[in-house]
Amino acid sequence: MPEPVPLPPKMSVRALVEHFKPPVSVSSYGAVFTDTTEFMNITYGDVIHVGGRHYLVYGDERERRFGMEDPKFWVKRCTELESGQYRILKLEFRETFDQHIGPLTITCHRSAAKESRILKLVEGDPRFMQGVTFKDERGNLVRVLERVQGRRLDLSVEDIHADHRSYFHEIYPGILERFIRACRAILFLHEYGESHGDIRRDHLYVDHASGEYCWIDFDYGYDTTENPFGLDLFGLGNILAFITGKGVHTIQDRANADMDGPLITESDCSLFFRHRIVNLRKLFPYVPEELNHVLMHYSATSEVYYETVPELLDELEPCLDILRRA
Amino acid sequence: MDFKNILIAVDASDNARRAVDYAATILANAAGARVTLLYIERAPGRDLFETEEAWLGQCRLEHDRVFDFLKDARARLMAAGLPDEAISERTLLCSAEPSVAQTILDVQQEGSFGTLVVGRRGLSKGEEFLFGSVSTKLIHNARNCAVWVVQ
Repeated sequence: MPEPVPLPPKMSVRALVEHFKPPVSVSSYGAVFTDTTEFMNITYGDVIHVGGRHYLVYGDERERRFGMEDPKFWVKRCTELESGQYRILKLEFRETFDQHIGPLTITCHRSAAKESRILKLVEGDPRFMQGVTFKDERGNLVRVLERVQGRRLDLSVEDIHADHRSYFHEIYPGILERFIRACRAILFLHEYGESHGDIRRDHLYVDHASGEYCWIDFDYGYDTTENPFGLDLFGLGNILAFITGKGVHTIQDRANADMDGPLITESDCSLFFRHRIVNLRKLFPYVPEELNHVLMHYSATSEVYYETVPELLDELEPCLDILRRA
Repeated sequence: MDFKNILIAVDASDNARRAVDYAATILANAAGARVTLLYIERAPGRDLFETEEAWLGQCRLEHDRVFDFLKDARARLMAAGLPDEAISERTLLCSAEPSVAQTILDVQQEGSFGTLVVGRRGLSKGEEFLFGSVSTKLIHNARNCAVWVVQ
């Protein structure tokens, strides 16, 4: 976090806003909130005062998936008035809800405490989004996050203008190498008894400057099970299939495209998404057998599943060498 | 290993009760059998609860549930004919690592139990992937003992 700019003594919040002239139009200054419990009431033009700093609210963050946008009323887009920096404030919102993964329903909870612990754990680690947590006057955990200077990995991959063969031979090895490092980042969490909890391809960003991958959003939690990292391993497999296939491939897509080639059945598809093809070697015969073997651990026919990141990497890392040699 | 030295791993579920009933039936006339009821305690996730009191309350609730279960399991074994002194209970605390299955196997090895009994929930493949299965891990990793998996 940047150091605060020295301020004239005893400035009012209104004076602060005017002093730093944030790059937005604020027609009327709203209320100053030191208690964020009623986060629905905190809107455009309001200021959140927490951790000794002031955050001017532009609006609510939105979740963008599958072309839809859902407002996240507990996540505020802000400017930190003392520094003029863009910040995202995640306010404490406790909820328990059912998450659906294929035919399974999993009870999930949103935990500010979990995300705060992880933010502290990964402080200074560019493989994760950065931020600090402050308590508001009611004890709510407010996470002040820096914006990741990058782009979602899935969008970056989708935008690569190359046919799959060229992509796979020329670009994919570099992507896989970085993805393996991103897996190691998840292992780092697991070694400290934490899970990411919501590994999805839109929660992994490509840093504009370094090209390295950066995980975001760690506030999902689940009750402990015999396989505490199973959901993370599931998420990593989904991303691996996505980057390997340069997108999602479904039985329906293939049928619609009227493609030649071997018959694709449910046994070639994901254990959880019975239409999503993971046996990518059937679509792209140049995918090495060893890499396809890793993907098939996520298929409907698999009897053995990865339980830990090292188990996954033990089989995935040699694939990178094979691709490099090819 | 002494196959009459029997470890029944329980978790206060109906599946565990079936495992106890099965063992009771098999052991009804088995002279010299000794049974240890093992409960591996895993505290509910602290993040699930808003306050320390709420979390401790749930811990106490689960503790009481297991205490009642163990009492009931002993009664079922005795009703089948096992003498009181042939039954013992043990509870152990387990964090995320090692797993419940590994903790059971550690106890089995340390106590030279020749028979390990466990109930099975009957998970689907997907559930087993995401949540893991204690009974599957026991079957895969148990050494020098018989494993009875009761569905």
